[in-house]
Amino acid sequence: MSFVEQINQGLSWLDLRVDIIWDYRDLFIRGIYYTIILSMSGVGIGLVLGLFAGMAKLARSLWIRWPAIAYIEFFRGTPLFVQIMLLHFAVLPTLLGRSPSPVISGIIALALNSGAYISEIFRAGIQSIARGQMEAARSLGLSHGMAMRYIILPQAFRRMIPPLGNELIVVLKDSSLLSAIAAPELANAARITMGATSRPWEPYMTIAVIYLVITLILASLVSRLERKLDYGRHSRS
Amino acid sequence: MVDTAAVNRTDVYTDTSTSTSGKMAKTEPLISVRSVHKFFGTHEVLKGIDLEVYPQEVLVIIGPSGSGKSTLLRCLNLLETYQKGEIIVDGKRLSDPKIQEDEVRRELGMVFQQFNLFPHMTVLENLILAPIKVRKKSREEAIKDARLLLQKVGLSDKEGAYPDALSGGQQQRVAIARALAMRPKAMLFDEPTSALDPEMVKEVLDVMKDLAREGMTMVVVTHEMGFAREVGDRVIFMDQGEIVEQGTPQDVFGQPKNERTKAFLSKVL
Repeated sequence: MSFVEQINQGLSWLDLRVDIIWDYRDLFIRGIYYTIILSMSGVGIGLVLGLFAGMAKLARSLWIRWPAIAYIEFFRGTPLFVQIMLLHFAVLPTLLGRSPSPVISGIIALALNSGAYISEIFRAGIQSIARGQMEAARSLGLSHGMAMRYIILPQAFRRMIPPLGNELIVVLKDSSLLSAIAAPELANAARITMGATSRPWEPYMTIAVIYLVITLILASLVSRLERKLDYGRHSRS
Repeated sequence: MVDTAAVNRTDVYTDTSTSTSGKMAKTEPLISVRSVHKFFGTHEVLKGIDLEVYPQEVLVIIGPSGSGKSTLLRCLNLLETYQKGEIIVDGKRLSDPKIQEDEVRRELGMVFQQFNLFPHMTVLENLILAPIKVRKKSREEAIKDARLLLQKVGLSDKEGAYPDALSGGQQQRVAIARALAMRPKAMLFDEPTSALDPEMVKEVLDVMKDLAREGMTMVVVTHEMGFAREVGDRVIFMDQGEIVEQGTPQDVFGQPKNERTKAFLSKVL
């Protein structure tokens, strides 16, 4: 009797069939890979978008501020599911003249959506740094750009790590919505498995556990990074 | 020439009042303020301020809170704007739209009530950042300079510490050293001891006294009347956005002429 059959027998009182997952393991492994790729790329690009949108929202000029506000409000005020559908089936085909790959659509959708949330994290982070820091930097003759780069952003970034980590976890979970456009991620693997076997419990419990493990690992990485970057609060000489 | 200047400067220690009046007669002012008005909305916080600061002079500005003294100081290095009048710093008119703000500011060191050290940098990094980025000094040169300044403010052993690990008095001494690291032509102090515990006031004032003795041009907004009396070449009393009275510390503290000055001094002395 194989290992899988043994487990199956052990769980027979629950009527769970692990062999189904084993048969479709390639689908789930690919799913883990794409879930991570999609959400990491999405948040990575979202960070850049968020930095610019967040700074633009703090700009004095209305011409810079207004587009940033429109972008942020649209992507925070409409469901991600709707954004994914619009992008994949309407916006991108119109722009490209052909159907985009679900992975490309997925990354763009997650990037645009997380960029809007991340911009608010940046804005709040920048604004949380006391005005005196900017004044001290400027009074030393540093330009506004230098003061941002050397004084404000490094401090703001430390404060942004917990909310950014949180955003990464949110995006990782929300990437499951991309199964609607058949992006080859985890929820898609579960959907295909259920369709082929007519068994809902095994595939969805499996991906639930996988999502949980990944988010727990991410959360602990974030708190470790947070502790590592905490400066000067350990000793008072 | 240099030697005579040094000797003359030594004289300043012993007889401040006469040497000051001598300086004032001969030299051009480093900072000129000409009928400056400033409004916050409709509220007029500066109502036509005229004032000159001469090289090597220590000008002390006193007055009740809300009198506009900090606002005036902040106008000098463009942290605040003004609506009428003119301020000239080191020959540059601050109302000139083509003015390079950063060029004016790098010549004026500013010390804040809340220290405003950069908490993510060590003491040494706080001191060398602007000299390297703005003055384009080499890192080695900036570090050498910074160590001399830390020695001067008595904090040589703290160069690797983060600001959070220092007491308030130590932080303010670092802040003074940081401003000095830019080799400014004048130093502006905005209530430098007001946020300090009483036992730390002296160490900061001592550093400021040393600076004054070395001939640094200083504009000091303070509530420390002892410092004003001892170190100030000239004292200005401000109230409700106006300069009410000015003169030598002996005159202003000894024989105040204006009723408002008398009332204020009777409360603080």
